[in-house]
Amino acid sequence: MEKTMVKKRSVLTPTLIAIVGFLTVCPIVMLVFGSFSTGLGAFGEFTLDKYILGYTDPELGGIIVNTIIFVLGSSMVATGLALFLAYLNTRTDIPFKFLFRIISIIPMMIPHILFSVSWVLLLNPSNGLINLFLRQIPGFEDLAINIYSLPGMILVEGLLDLPIAYLILAPAMASFDIALEESSKVCGGTTLRTLFRVTLPVLRPAILAAFILSLVRSLASFAVPSVIGMPGRIYVLATHIYQSIATGFAADFGKAAAIGMSVLATSITLIYIYRYLTSEGEKYVTISSRGYRPTVIELKGAKYPLFSVVGILSMILIVLPVLVLFYTSLVPYSMIPSAKAFSMMSWKHWIEVVNDPISLLSLKNSVFLGVVGATLGVMLSVFVAYVIVKIRSHASGILESLSFLSFSFPGIVIGVGFMWFFVRTPLYATIWALLIGYIATYLPYGVRPLASAFVQVHSHLEESSQVCGAGSFTTMRRIVIPLLIPGIVSGWILMATMFVRELTLSVVLSRPGTEVLAVQIFRFAEDGLWGQLSALGIMMIFISTALVLLATLVGMKFKPVEEGE
Amino acid sequence: MEIKIKNLSKYYYSGGKTIKALDNVSLSIPANRIFTLLGPSGCGKTTLLRCIVGLEAPDTGEIEIGDDVVLSTEKNIFVPTENRGLGMVFQTYAIWPHMNVFNNVAYPLQTRKVPKDIIRSKVEKTLRFVQLEGFEDRPATKLSGGQQQRVALARALVAEPKVILFDEPLSNLDAKLREETRKDLRVFLTELQITAIYVTHDRIEALSLSDIVAVMNKGQIVETGEPRNIYLNANHRFVADFIGRTNLIEATVTSQEESVTTVDCAIGRLACRKRADIKPGDRVTLCLRPEFIRLKRGNASEAQNVFNGQIKSLVFIGEAFEGEITIHESQLFIKTEPHSDIEVGDRANFTVDPDHCLLVTR
Ligand SMILES: Nc1ncnc2c1ncn2[C@@H]1O[C@H](COP(=O)(O)OP(=O)(O)OP(=O)(O)O)[C@@H](O)[C@H]1O
Ligand SMILES: [Mg+2]
Repeated sequence: MEKTMVKKRSVLTPTLIAIVGFLTVCPIVMLVFGSFSTGLGAFGEFTLDKYILGYTDPELGGIIVNTIIFVLGSSMVATGLALFLAYLNTRTDIPFKFLFRIISIIPMMIPHILFSVSWVLLLNPSNGLINLFLRQIPGFEDLAINIYSLPGMILVEGLLDLPIAYLILAPAMASFDIALEESSKVCGGTTLRTLFRVTLPVLRPAILAAFILSLVRSLASFAVPSVIGMPGRIYVLATHIYQSIATGFAADFGKAAAIGMSVLATSITLIYIYRYLTSEGEKYVTISSRGYRPTVIELKGAKYPLFSVVGILSMILIVLPVLVLFYTSLVPYSMIPSAKAFSMMSWKHWIEVVNDPISLLSLKNSVFLGVVGATLGVMLSVFVAYVIVKIRSHASGILESLSFLSFSFPGIVIGVGFMWFFVRTPLYATIWALLIGYIATYLPYGVRPLASAFVQVHSHLEESSQVCGAGSFTTMRRIVIPLLIPGIVSGWILMATMFVRELTLSVVLSRPGTEVLAVQIFRFAEDGLWGQLSALGIMMIFISTALVLLATLVGMKFKPVEEGE
Repeated sequence: MEIKIKNLSKYYYSGGKTIKALDNVSLSIPANRIFTLLGPSGCGKTTLLRCIVGLEAPDTGEIEIGDDVVLSTEKNIFVPTENRGLGMVFQTYAIWPHMNVFNNVAYPLQTRKVPKDIIRSKVEKTLRFVQLEGFEDRPATKLSGGQQQRVALARALVAEPKVILFDEPLSNLDAKLREETRKDLRVFLTELQITAIYVTHDRIEALSLSDIVAVMNKGQIVETGEPRNIYLNANHRFVADFIGRTNLIEATVTSQEESVTTVDCAIGRLACRKRADIKPGDRVTLCLRPEFIRLKRGNASEAQNVFNGQIKSLVFIGEAFEGEITIHESQLFIKTEPHSDIEVGDRANFTVDPDHCLLVTR
């Protein structure tokens, strides 16, 4: 009996290492091979041509400068805002604290491409709604605030990365040991001085971690650089790579791979620094065992001014994009809201979208990828998390590192890597290619909630079930699975919403017949079909929301407390 | 039910080193008594317990519960935990947070496919027994530490196992509750006439709760006996030291007499409890419990086992004086009746009954 159990485990770990290893290492290896080869169809012989071609490009210098400014700038915006919000929420008596939870979660459900598009609709120089509005004011007739610029990109990307930075900073601040601050005050430090001399330095690892994660995100970002950067002819590495594979006949995957290599290397380095910081961070941020809440700082007169900043931010992050898109989907062309505009409203764009076969196909594909992909991804995550948390052998350490690797994957680069693999298989241009790519890139989003769920299932809980006479099947059914349900649900929600809105990887892997929502929206944006784009975008938000509700309902069906007998 | 353990060994391999968690343990646990495994942290108590329930697979050995061999590495027998029919209370209690009290307690009966009405009546009876009547519908997460402990006990008892095992079940309770629960537990277990194996590193818990104590060290059983016997007649230095506060003094055997063994040590020549297995010249350790060192008044010179010392420190703790005395440069702990009129700095004579001078080896 025991013998067979040992056997099962010893098969499980290598199998998972093989699967996850394939998912994460395969695209990297293919990318490396591809960058040294002559073409996509056949590797040909070993050559450095693509590197020479890619790195002697005279435009590359400017692109790298743009990338650095964009990535650093947006990460500073994201971390700064997140710090501000986290501090207000965890340490002060600011009202309506529930808003902070909303700010930290809802934007994850609004696809990045739609968020970017809504800013284009508001602030593009020719007919952005805000520009149109301001031009009505005498003296501003020639005004054109231009979103198609580096500051515009930085602002939008910063807002997009805000939630993830907040999710790292808020818990760190909440678990901060208040005694450190109190002793500073006893020594005569003012609130502000304490903040800058004690609180922020102690939180430095968490702040750095949030900053680095934002760097990785913005380096991988494609939505903002493509929707906002490209029309203004501002290229960063992601769009530069995209250009070399997207220009019709002259698509050059080799050059894309050669440049992608440096992006990937940077990204992996950053992620390992991040990982080091978060494991180090636990030493710094002391969780107070005495368990009382940090004292709340009274904002007094600053309370409502500060709150209005938070209110405006949540408007900008959540309400505005949806509102702008919905409005745009109803009016025939860009015009500021007025009686005339309302009288011209119609469902025309919606009807066009519903009658557009490619849009419908993309809807169908994205729903399929969201539901099936998330389900498969969560199943894999359950096993991976189990091995990482419960088996704790040398091999499980390897598995953890492997599954963590994809955290650093810039979608477009990994897409290029996968292309080299898929063209050699019958999977090429099928929906399964996208599915595999998605799971590979987003695996950590499933593994993390499940790993923390497994941590909560103390081994004694399983063992006492065995002592009570339950076999491993009953123990699984009545003890382990019910305790995992919350983790499974949140893993599924995360994966499903990410898959429904996936753009960066899909823009490389999607072929005619396997269009997905975000790519279709991207095409609409390229063609300037804002009305149809908005209609499809609203549908996309509906689908994401519906999936979240569905998963939550299913999770509630397995109530945490068993009733009666 | 009696439990027999033969030559049980369990090794762990970590970082290239082999840890002998259990080193060839042989043990016989009598039926229907409270048997305690006592030992310092890391000595292998939990490992032994887990081997008995079957949560750990030993490297070698044999375990017999009643007439059933549940483990024999020689005959390749391993009865899985769920078929051993035991009850166990974990250190963390392992109350399932997603179930209410009723389902937690009913679980062992449900896995054994007992009819529902019998389950209900048995759970009720057991909850009444552990004084948790009316808690059936309470979610498990809304229980105090002491209540969780009793739910865990109820769950271990409900299927009427012949053997129940406890792994430091009181270590998560505060001092007062721990004392009360210890008393209750002894009453419960004696009333039930059940074989109980109890693991603890707390000597007072072990002494006051058990019928038999086995002291463990480094994966081995050092000594087994009734609490009083172990306390008063330990044979090993480790046991004497671990089971209670004591003075340990290196000594050399000078002679074996009819009723006593005499030794020489730093505080002089003492007549000790007779130990036949040592001979003059052997190095032994003298064990003097503080509470057996008494003040000796009047003429001291002709009496046996009298030594003169100076009082170095003295603390009044209510029921006694605790302190240290200096005798020829060695220090001894003493514990003496609270009405003594001694003070720090006084010189006084002290005496110990030879029967309380214990000679221990190793
Ligand atoms: N899974 C394991 N892997 C490696 N070593 C282990 C493992 N479990 C226990 N050990 C080691 O075996 C030895 C005995 O452990 P055990 O848990 O039985 O001690 P214990 O007497 O119960 O201690 P405590 O009073 O602290 O609970 C210890 O040295 C421990 O470090
Ligand atoms: Mg233990």
